Amino acid sequence: MSKPLAGVRIADFTVHAAGPFCTHMLAQLGAECIKIESQHRPDIFRKPHAVYGRTDAAEFDHVTSGKLSVRLNLKHPKGLALAKSLVALSDVVAENFRAGVMTRLGLGWDELSRVKPDLVMVSVSSSGQSSPDSSFAGYAPLFGAWGALGTLTGYPDGPPVEMRHMMDHAAGLNGALAALAGLRGRAHHGRGSYFDVAARDVASASIGEFLLEAAAGVEPTRWGNAHPGMAPHGVYPARGEDKWLTLAVRTDAEWARLCQVIGRPELADDARFATAEVRLAHREAADALVAEWSAAVEADEAARLLQEASIAAHPSWNAQEIIDDPHMRQRGLIEIVELKSGIRPAVCTPIRFSGAETGVAHHTPELGEHEDYVFGELLKLSRRQRDELEGEQAIY
Amino acid sequence: MPAAPLPLSGIRVLERADGVAAAYAGRMLAALGAETIMVEPAKGSALRREAPFLPGGASATFAYLAAGKRSVTHDPADTDRWDAYAGLLRSAAILIDDTPLGQRPGDDRAPRAINPGLVHVSVLPYGAAGPKAHWKGEEVNLVHACGEGGLLPNGLTLELFPNRPPLKIYGNFVSYHAGVAGAAGALAALLGGGGQLVDVSIQDVGVALAAMTVQRLGDGVLEHRVTRSFRYGGVFRCADGHIEVITAENHQWTSLVALLEHPEWARDPGFADELERGRRGAEINRHVATWAADKSAADVVARGQKIGVPIAKYRQPRDVLGGEHERSRGLFADVAIPGEGELPILVAPLELDGGALPAPSPPPRLGADQLLMSGAIAASQEGVA
Repeated sequence: MSKPLAGVRIADFTVHAAGPFCTHMLAQLGAECIKIESQHRPDIFRKPHAVYGRTDAAEFDHVTSGKLSVRLNLKHPKGLALAKSLVALSDVVAENFRAGVMTRLGLGWDELSRVKPDLVMVSVSSSGQSSPDSSFAGYAPLFGAWGALGTLTGYPDGPPVEMRHMMDHAAGLNGALAALAGLRGRAHHGRGSYFDVAARDVASASIGEFLLEAAAGVEPTRWGNAHPGMAPHGVYPARGEDKWLTLAVRTDAEWARLCQVIGRPELADDARFATAEVRLAHREAADALVAEWSAAVEADEAARLLQEASIAAHPSWNAQEIIDDPHMRQRGLIEIVELKSGIRPAVCTPIRFSGAETGVAHHTPELGEHEDYVFGELLKLSRRQRDELEGEQAIY
Repeated sequence: MPAAPLPLSGIRVLERADGVAAAYAGRMLAALGAETIMVEPAKGSALRREAPFLPGGASATFAYLAAGKRSVTHDPADTDRWDAYAGLLRSAAILIDDTPLGQRPGDDRAPRAINPGLVHVSVLPYGAAGPKAHWKGEEVNLVHACGEGGLLPNGLTLELFPNRPPLKIYGNFVSYHAGVAGAAGALAALLGGGGQLVDVSIQDVGVALAAMTVQRLGDGVLEHRVTRSFRYGGVFRCADGHIEVITAENHQWTSLVALLEHPEWARDPGFADELERGRRGAEINRHVATWAADKSAADVVARGQKIGVPIAKYRQPRDVLGGEHERSRGLFADVAIPGEGELPILVAPLELDGGALPAPSPPPRLGADQLLMSGAIAASQEGVA
């Protein structure tokens, strides 16, 4: 079986997390993704990241494994020309510089769509290309703050909570969807397209129902782990240090079964909990009953017992528990890959196909690792031409 | 407004969805031009009864997710109208489906038995294969099953409430993005030739989005919410709200020091080194918190962004609804919601060819498009057996 995007080529100008996650997803679906960096300005995730307290580059593998790497100095006219030549051989261009940077480099949509008329181009940025805030610098926590997702996340009596890499990657995933839509549109209508993904809007889109509620005059508030329609619902202590069980009861029948599981069958007839409406009114009492039971049970065992009773429950897991889980192993989401730095887990695309493969093809490339293929085979540059371009620091 | 046709025009999508993830997959495909038809049971999709509710009683969740779609009714057990449903299925390129595995029709009534060219996208809490494929899962379970829930809260919230249970992200964040993955999977399968099952596990999508924590484990670090907080920067309280400040690069740190008007403490030569800043992050944050406490959030954000500090105000939903950014991008469109009147609905978090995507049609009444089941239907332009 081949991968679904076999034959699709991406000229990848993305850096950091959001843009690279977009092309990482497409690469795992089979696209040939050529990452364009320079020695002068390598992707920041090739470097240590002090704000996270890291002394090594941790993120890079998870958004870059499976890609090809070349060096191009985009501020050199010959480097720019090579970039355009590469775009002419590509189906998709992806970038996530601050708005306007690609245009200033001579690589904006208007220019590249002349180079390749049926090109699909995806820009991922904090505020999009057309916003009055388009020049704003931003990272994942800022996307959540602007989009109000971070504002609403938190305990009811506490401050907002920062969104982290999930927010970056979510923006990238939307970019991947856009690229796929563009490829389908091109295949069917014969025309290219330009998608502009604003990460802060991705944050807002994930609370669309609550924004609608606000528009109708009902101000949404922080719920913590509670839910506006379900009780009990939340995160409860389990046996052991810092062990937690998550639980959600949607129906009266589930409540009755929960009462059986926790050894309190009489509560099924308690008027305080007879319907979802009254359970919501007595959510603290319901939560206390669950917590009293769960605190004495291992989280895995509690989840198993509850799922056997057809109640939604799962332990709160860390990365090790995820990797060790037989279900996750069987699904093959996490592959164990051999890198130069050693053997380590790698997360693959979360999309499985009955008729196609996906997954990590190879390790994170060294800077410029694939120039023989890209510059030599694709762009048909001789060794001498490449040496001259390196000497001029166009390839740099 | 982008020039017609939209990239997915000509694609017919059927959607059997009781959950947010599958419904959002159909919603995104519709936003990009597909004709998305909800196939609902006679009592309607469960999403029609999902909180939160609007003042007139309509589900805000359903209204948001069903905008731009059509509605027919059909129960899988309804043998009388099976032929009509099969005809509709044959006309479709994609079926988005969160029907629990044990309730899916099999053998000659399986979707791909009826339409071999169909891309059948299964969107389930733990996927369609594996020991937990039959497990029930709500958002609170899934955000913790993917590792992210245990890493929240962080920063200021964790400082204030160190002993509280870990926290979910608000609303249905993981489910929404499982929907994005489902839509992406559908299109990838179409591009790959169609005619296959696409299996999306909401838990898997959460793990992929939270991949950093697996990466860190490979680095030898088992992340925990106590140790994952930013070394410096984060959430700070201003006089009239909260702000977020992150300085990941040296020039941004320099700009932050300028925003703080070059205080004496920041002249310590040690702060010139980014690793030293990481080690002394708590000290930095105490200074920033003191500085921010009596400032206007909007003012410091405006001044900070002007000089290149990554800084933002934690905006309220009403700020988003009335924001100049959102207005300029046409992020919201007024849509008539049955029983509620016209309300602004978020269209999609992306622009196409320099303009907003078209406003979605109103969320349909149950069975509003039942004529589509009559057989007088135009087929999808691709994926038809």
